[in-house]
Amino acid sequence: MNPQPAWEEIERLYFEALNLPEAERKAMLAGLGPALRDEVESLLRADSSDALPLSPPVHMAADLLDAQPDALTPGQRVAGYEVDSLISVGGMGEVYLARDAAGRPVALKLLRRHLIANPQAVDRFETEARAASALRHPNIVTVYESGESPEGLFIAMEWLDGSTFRVVMDAGAAELAQAMDWGAQAAGALSAAHSAGILHRDIKPENIILCKNGVVKILDFGLARQGEPARPEEISSGASGTISGSLSGTLLYMPPEILRGETATSASDVYSLGTFLYELATGRHPFAGETPLDVFEAIEYRVVPPVRSLRAAIPLEVDRLISRMLDRVPDRRPTATEASEVLAARAELA
Amino acid sequence: MFFERRPGPMDPQGEVTMLLTAWANGDQTALNKLIPLVYAELHRIARRAWSEQQQYNTLQPTALINEAYLKLANVENASFQDRCHFFAVSCTAMRQILVNHARQRLADKRGGEHVKLSLDEAQPVVHQEAAEIVALHEALEALQAIDPRKAKVVEMRYFGGLGIEETAEALGVSVGTVNRDWRLARSWLIRHMNRENP
Repeated sequence: MNPQPAWEEIERLYFEALNLPEAERKAMLAGLGPALRDEVESLLRADSSDALPLSPPVHMAADLLDAQPDALTPGQRVAGYEVDSLISVGGMGEVYLARDAAGRPVALKLLRRHLIANPQAVDRFETEARAASALRHPNIVTVYESGESPEGLFIAMEWLDGSTFRVVMDAGAAELAQAMDWGAQAAGALSAAHSAGILHRDIKPENIILCKNGVVKILDFGLARQGEPARPEEISSGASGTISGSLSGTLLYMPPEILRGETATSASDVYSLGTFLYELATGRHPFAGETPLDVFEAIEYRVVPPVRSLRAAIPLEVDRLISRMLDRVPDRRPTATEASEVLAARAELA
Repeated sequence: MFFERRPGPMDPQGEVTMLLTAWANGDQTALNKLIPLVYAELHRIARRAWSEQQQYNTLQPTALINEAYLKLANVENASFQDRCHFFAVSCTAMRQILVNHARQRLADKRGGEHVKLSLDEAQPVVHQEAAEIVALHEALEALQAIDPRKAKVVEMRYFGGLGIEETAEALGVSVGTVNRDWRLARSWLIRHMNRENP
């Protein structure tokens, strides 16, 4: 038995039968041998079935992208570091608690190239490594080392024991003297970055850490640039997490000039910090809105009540400082250095 | 310099073009080297598309393949035939991706490990689709033994999401042939699956 001629015969008869009207088809099939007739008949029956919707499996294609890559397991080594546990994971890679050779804790950021689809991720990662390494300041997270390992690109950073200001602010209003001290530290960090010619470009509570010892640290210099134009879409899609999450997160701290597509300057960072200080001092975000569009409009047009109208104990100088930081005209804003000095002076008095 | 840009996996364009040419010239081992490259690229594109859009209906396999083609093949110097070959390889890679994933999903479900609580109405559809994909893949392997071209037509249309004309173009046959192959293959596959899973 040679199956190949039989298949060709089946194929020929199948199409012949398909083209015949019902009665003639029956007659034609009746004239076939039993085995051949069974083959052709069963195929014709299947032809009229709607069992197999032969369309591409779109859901499956979407679904498979949902799967997260496997995290590294405790004890695994990346360069000279031993992984302890996974801290966070996002579109921009993973952060692990790891130990250096001496057993000290480090935060290990890892970007596994082959698992990362976002082409911006690698650029962003390299930018962060470069910018943060160039900055040495008590209020900027210290980068120990960065490079490429078989597991991917990595940055080993100072391990910070504390929480982001998002968490701090969610816990309730801060004591005023404390808020001013924290603001002074954050402004001091920006001042140092600006003196080094580096813009942060993504200042928001999620990127500012309050350590348990009271020290404030700015992190995530992944969008840092030296005097290059910033575009809103670049910032929004470049930030960590999902688009929707990052858009709403970042948009709230985005200066009006960036929304309009203008070039970011040090004054843009000052504005974002001003928004953060407003929220920290009053517990209210100056540009909060129901939808991204509301926020857009608020940033462009809302008349923001001075912080003292919401919390009378706030010193006049601080009230004026924050209002100037939020000026829609970048040139009229104070420098980060000035902001740091005003806040530090008031924090000491309080 | 913190990061050295290295040629190799990150810049596979030249390699893909070379392998496509080798394959077109009859080197069958080139195909085995091509598929993983295309596979990785499709995965990357799909992941990115997913993270950007988060919408099922925007993820068409054929769009992924087109993008992979633009990315991997040296489009300016590619011949029409190169393009056809690339599409043929991509559909095979897409089939592997989808089948592997579908199997994973079914295994997760059976093992009960996949404790992903979801009220998403798409979930039952996804599971049904996973079972369907695996069944079709297995039936297709059987058809391949009998009539490789018909199996290829189904692979390109179902797994690659290619249209009739694109499939004809990629296989170098007429539209009429693809239509006929498609119709008989479909009947054959339905019959086969009914017999395997009554």
